[in-house]
Order: sequence, then structure tokens, then C-alpha cells
Amino acid sequence: MAAYVCTRSCISKFKESIRFIPRRYRVKTKWAATRPKFPATELALHNFDTSYSIQLRDLWPSVRVAMLCEQKYGALINSFSSAPNVITDLEVQGCKDFISFDCSRNEVHQSSQDSTTSHRDSTKLEPAPLQPSITPDIKCLVFPQGDISRFKPARPDSSGILGYYLLDAASVLPVLALDVQPGHTVLDLCAAPGGKTLALLQTHSVNYLWANDLSGSRTMRLRRTLQSYLPKEFMDENKILVTSTDGRQLGMTEEKRFDRVLVDVPCTTDRHSAMVEENNIFKRSRTKERQKLPLLQTQLLLAGIQATRRGGHIVYSTCSLSQLQNECVVQQAISLAQQELGITVEVEDLRWFAQRFSDTFHFAPQLCVGELVLPHLRANFGPIYMCKLHRIN
Amino acid sequence: MGTHVCKNQMVRWMWRWSVCRVAVSRGHMPYCSAQQEPHQANPSHNGQVTHRPGNQLTLCSLLEMGFSENQAKEMHEGATKSRGKHVPSVLTALLLLGLNPSSILKILQTCPEVYSLKGADMQQRIDHLRKMGLVEGSLQRMISHYPKVMLLPVKRVNMVSRLLKEKCLFTIQQVTDILRDSPEVLEEDLAELEYKFQYAYFRMGVRQPEMVKAKLFRLSLSKLRCRHCFLERRGLYQTPDKKGQTLIVNPPLKDVLCVSEETYLKQVAMATAEEFHIFRKLMAREQEEEEREDEYSSDEDEELGEDKDDDDDDGVHRGKPHWKTGYRRDKK
Repeated sequence: MAAYVCTRSCISKFKESIRFIPRRYRVKTKWAATRPKFPATELALHNFDTSYSIQLRDLWPSVRVAMLCEQKYGALINSFSSAPNVITDLEVQGCKDFISFDCSRNEVHQSSQDSTTSHRDSTKLEPAPLQPSITPDIKCLVFPQGDISRFKPARPDSSGILGYYLLDAASVLPVLALDVQPGHTVLDLCAAPGGKTLALLQTHSVNYLWANDLSGSRTMRLRRTLQSYLPKEFMDENKILVTSTDGRQLGMTEEKRFDRVLVDVPCTTDRHSAMVEENNIFKRSRTKERQKLPLLQTQLLLAGIQATRRGGHIVYSTCSLSQLQNECVVQQAISLAQQELGITVEVEDLRWFAQRFSDTFHFAPQLCVGELVLPHLRANFGPIYMCKLHRIN
Repeated sequence: MGTHVCKNQMVRWMWRWSVCRVAVSRGHMPYCSAQQEPHQANPSHNGQVTHRPGNQLTLCSLLEMGFSENQAKEMHEGATKSRGKHVPSVLTALLLLGLNPSSILKILQTCPEVYSLKGADMQQRIDHLRKMGLVEGSLQRMISHYPKVMLLPVKRVNMVSRLLKEKCLFTIQQVTDILRDSPEVLEEDLAELEYKFQYAYFRMGVRQPEMVKAKLFRLSLSKLRCRHCFLERRGLYQTPDKKGQTLIVNPPLKDVLCVSEETYLKQVAMATAEEFHIFRKLMAREQEEEEREDEYSSDEDEELGEDKDDDDDDGVHRGKPHWKTGYRRDKK
């Protein structure tokens, strides 16, 4: 009740400043006497029903019900925290670090498979691809399949640093796929609110990190997140740079500078759009913005490709199921990079990666490019799409 | 006709009780010797079943009614344990219904409280149910399957049927069908009963005839909600709009409610049992939290201008989802 009154008085006091707040961010839901006739969440679901039922066919009902239910979180362990028993306290509640668990289980399985198949006719089989190891430094704890327990909020240690960060566990996968090696410079093109940025820093391999986001308020949030999770010494300008600019410009200004680039583009955030009404991208007033998204995403990916050095890796990720925002964007960016910029980019096959984590996540069957984590009631993470590219020249 | 013959039989048995002194050799008969008392009682009774002072049950009378040895013994034990004072009149009323001895025994075993009833009350309640439209056949079936109905006072039955007729707008025939198919309705809390109806009517868009055909009132609200929401969230059920139209064809209610869970999952929801199990847990938690929230505030709290465009949110700042409910109970 008190909060409600406060809002009203605040708004009336700063009526002029409303002009500086974009219309869609103004708090006005309480002023409407009735609910919107067609809530944006319904428009979103209708949009999904039309496109995803064709794209996913039989899998769509299961994905739909999972997206409309409470999602599952993972606890990304903050290795900068000095609290001693963060992991064990969480493990006592029943969760496990899926990264080490899946890797130890499926690596063994993989190697045993290779040894048996090598006896067969080798001309029929493709040679098993060299499987990079997954960095052991990133730890993300999740509750087992079918367990719907929730995590308690993280508590600060003696220096005020939080022990873990709660996020969708599938969000960690693009960072794992990026495979940051020691001494690398990394660019995170659309970093806010900072979950993936934090995961990148957990690798302890980043020499220099540039985290950028277009929106000023979201960059503030990113900064606050980093402050809550990193010791003060770490926020050095020589180690981490946080900027709030248009990522598309960075392609030209920072050409060929980075070893690794993460392009986690703004998308229709399917799960969020189906559940939360406020500021929903499927609102009629945001239709143009939504329709221009694939173009924006392609431009951002191109900028990321430009900013990568020769031989560097780029990971493109979204949290949408839409082919238009996923595979189409990647393919368009690859061809544009070749035709207009003369940059050759190759897609890395991530099938081994999906196989590795198939016990924890529910991956969509064979996509033409990239991997897609589907929400399922058993493993209610995602949707997350990711695609890894190598810059050749 | 049949009841008239039965009544004569009753009179004969009552007479027999007063003079029976049979000392049966099989087993112990503690009450047979106490037959002296009824003998002194006024033999010119007027056929009224209940006005028997010192009305006591004898094993031999039970045997005469048609119970087998074992049945009679069990009946006797049950009657003594319950300390019912009018057991013979109760049995008379049940026999008048035309129930056979083994059904009567089963009724009394499932619902021992029946022993403690007064025969007149019971007869009145049974007659009232008959007035409600439960004809012979349905009435007996209902009483054998749900003996508790006889424990309920007439007033209660009236309240429930009034709710169904006036607030839920069922026809008299439909009310009878509901009582016959789902007698549990009579014991349910009236507010909850109405809520269940409103859920089906507004939230699911089902009308009265379909509700009766699907035996809606047999299911608990949570089971109903679970099965419905599972279908709805899978995209297989849509709440009809104002004109009653939907974009998809909803499965008929009886296919959703009347079938076993396996059939429901296989044919209607087309999902695995595991999915449904997890969904049930999530629904239970959602309900719990909604109830708790309704307790604390009648206003909805919105979070101020927080940007929620990204998926990897800190768990503490979870945005409150606006559930796609066309139906909300007014709590103001």
C-alpha cells in the first residue's frame, strides 16, 4: 500500500521528467481502470502458436506448457567470494554442478564409444572431432530433473560479495561454448544485466573484458551486478571496461581486437513475453521495433565478427525459439560478412557440446546451424539458442 | 405394493421378536434370554416401526430377516459396538427400500454411524430424496454406494439443491442427476461448490448440460484445475470468448474428466506421466502462493520500471507473472 502511494507522489512531482522517459517505461498500469483487451502476453502466445507449432511440431505442446510454468534456475558460483561453504551448503539441499557432472559422465561415455567404433570399418565413420575440454572453473549448481525446489537468495560474505548468482542455467552454455583461454581479451556486446559477463569472469582466463550494452539503465544494472560480485580490485579499468553505446559501432572502431566475442542479442525473450505483461515486446506499440529485430541482430553479429581477430571465436546467442532470429540471422550474417566485408566465417559444429549436456538440458533435434535448448517440464531451462563461429581471415 | 407386503412382514417379525425364546445351540446368544421384556410390552402396536420400547436386536430375528449366520453375527457386533438404540427400525427402513441383506451389511460396515440413527429420521430423509426425483433403482444405488447421505439432515440436502438450482441455474432434472451421480456434493462446503461451478462456467466456458454429462462434481477442484490447466497451457484447450468461440476445438469435458489418468494423458493431453506429475507439483505451489497473496493484499503490486528484457534475471527480482486467467475471484 505504501509503495503505491509513493509511486503516485513521485510521478506527480517529476511530471516534466516523464518526457525524458520513453513512453514504454513509464509506470502507468495502475492508472488504467480495466485490463487491456488483448494483453500482450496473449498476443505473444498466439504468435508462438502460429510459428512454433510448425517449427517444432509434436514438441511444441511440451515446450509451451514448460514456458508457462515457473522456470528453473541455476546458481552460478562466484569464485571471488571468500565464503567457505557456498558449494557444500547448496549441495546439501540436493543440487549438483551440472558442468562437472555431465562432463565426467559423458566424456567417459564418449571415449568408450570411440574405442569400440574404431574397430569397425573406418571409411563409414566420420573421424571423431577433436573435443575441446570444457573449462572446469565455471560452476553452476542445479536441482535434479523433476525437482522443483527453489534457491534462496545469495547472502553476502564478510566483504559484501555475494556467493552465487541465480540465472537460467542454460544461459551458461554460450559462455562454456565460447571457450575462453588464458590471456584472452573478450568482448561482450550486449552484456546487461550481467549473468553471462559474470560467467566469463569465473573462467579466470580473461585478460581484458569489455562489457557493453545499449541501454543506460541496463548498463547501470550491469555495473551494480559486477560490484556485488567482484572484489573492488577487480573493477580496475585495465581489466574490465563497461560502456553504454551502440554495439554496432564497435565493429568498426575495435576491428580485429578481440580473441573472443559474445553476441547475446536483444530478442523477443519468448519465455518472458509469454508471462510478463509489463513492457512486453509484443505490445502493439512495439510492433515496428519487434519486426526490425532480425535486422538489428544481424548488424550486431556482423559488428561482433568485425571485432574478432583472425582465428578468434564468436558465439551468437538468443533466448528465443524463432528461426527468424536464430538460424536466419546467422546465415545472413555469414553471407554478408563474406560479400560485403570479405570476411570468411565458419560455423563450428556444436553437436558434441549438446551431447555432453543432454542429461541436464533438452536440446532440439538437429538444427541446420547452431543448437537450441528447449524448455521441458523435466528440465525447465531455456529457450536458448547458440551458434559458434570461427573467423578465418 | 411391494412396500405394503414388506410392512406386513415387518409386523409379523415384530410379533415374533416378542415371543421368541429360541435358545440356539450354535454360538452364544446373550440377548435371546432377555426377550422377557418385550413380552410385557404392549402387543397391540399400530404397525409403527419405531414405537417398540426396549427395542433390541436378536440374532434369531436377524436370521429371519434373511441374513446368513456370519452376516448376522457381524451385524450384531456392529450394533452393540455402536450402541445404537433403534437398530431394528433402521434395518426396517433399509429393508423397506428393497435392499438385500448383504447390501445392508455392506452399508453398515462402510458407514457404522447409520446404526446410531433413528429409524423415523432415516425414513424421512429417504422419502425426501425420493421427492427430489431419485426414483427406485437410482435411490438404492445411491444409498448403497454412498451411505453417508442418510446421515445428512433434510435441511442440508435442501440447501445444496437450492444452490444448484438458484445460483448455478441447473434444471430440476439436472439437479437430480447430479445428486445421483455425485452424492458427495451434499457434503461439500457451499462456497467451494459454487466456486467449482464458476470455475467450470467462466474459466473453462462449459455449460450446465455438459457439466452434468461429465459428472463434474465428482472431481475435487484441484484435480479439475490440474487437468484443465495442463491442457490449456499445452495449447489444447482454450477458454471461449464472449461469443463462445475458440480458435481450436476443445476436447469434450467428459473426455477430460471421466477417464482415467492414463487415458487422459495418452489420448487427450498427449504427454508423459512424468510431465504431468511435475506439473501437478508446480500447480500446487502456484495455488498455495496465490492463496497466500490473496490473504495479504487485495491490490496487485507492480514492480517499478524494472527492465526485464533479459532472461538471466537475478532470482530475487522475479517479475510477477500475469496469469492468463479470464476468471478472478473478487476479493474486495
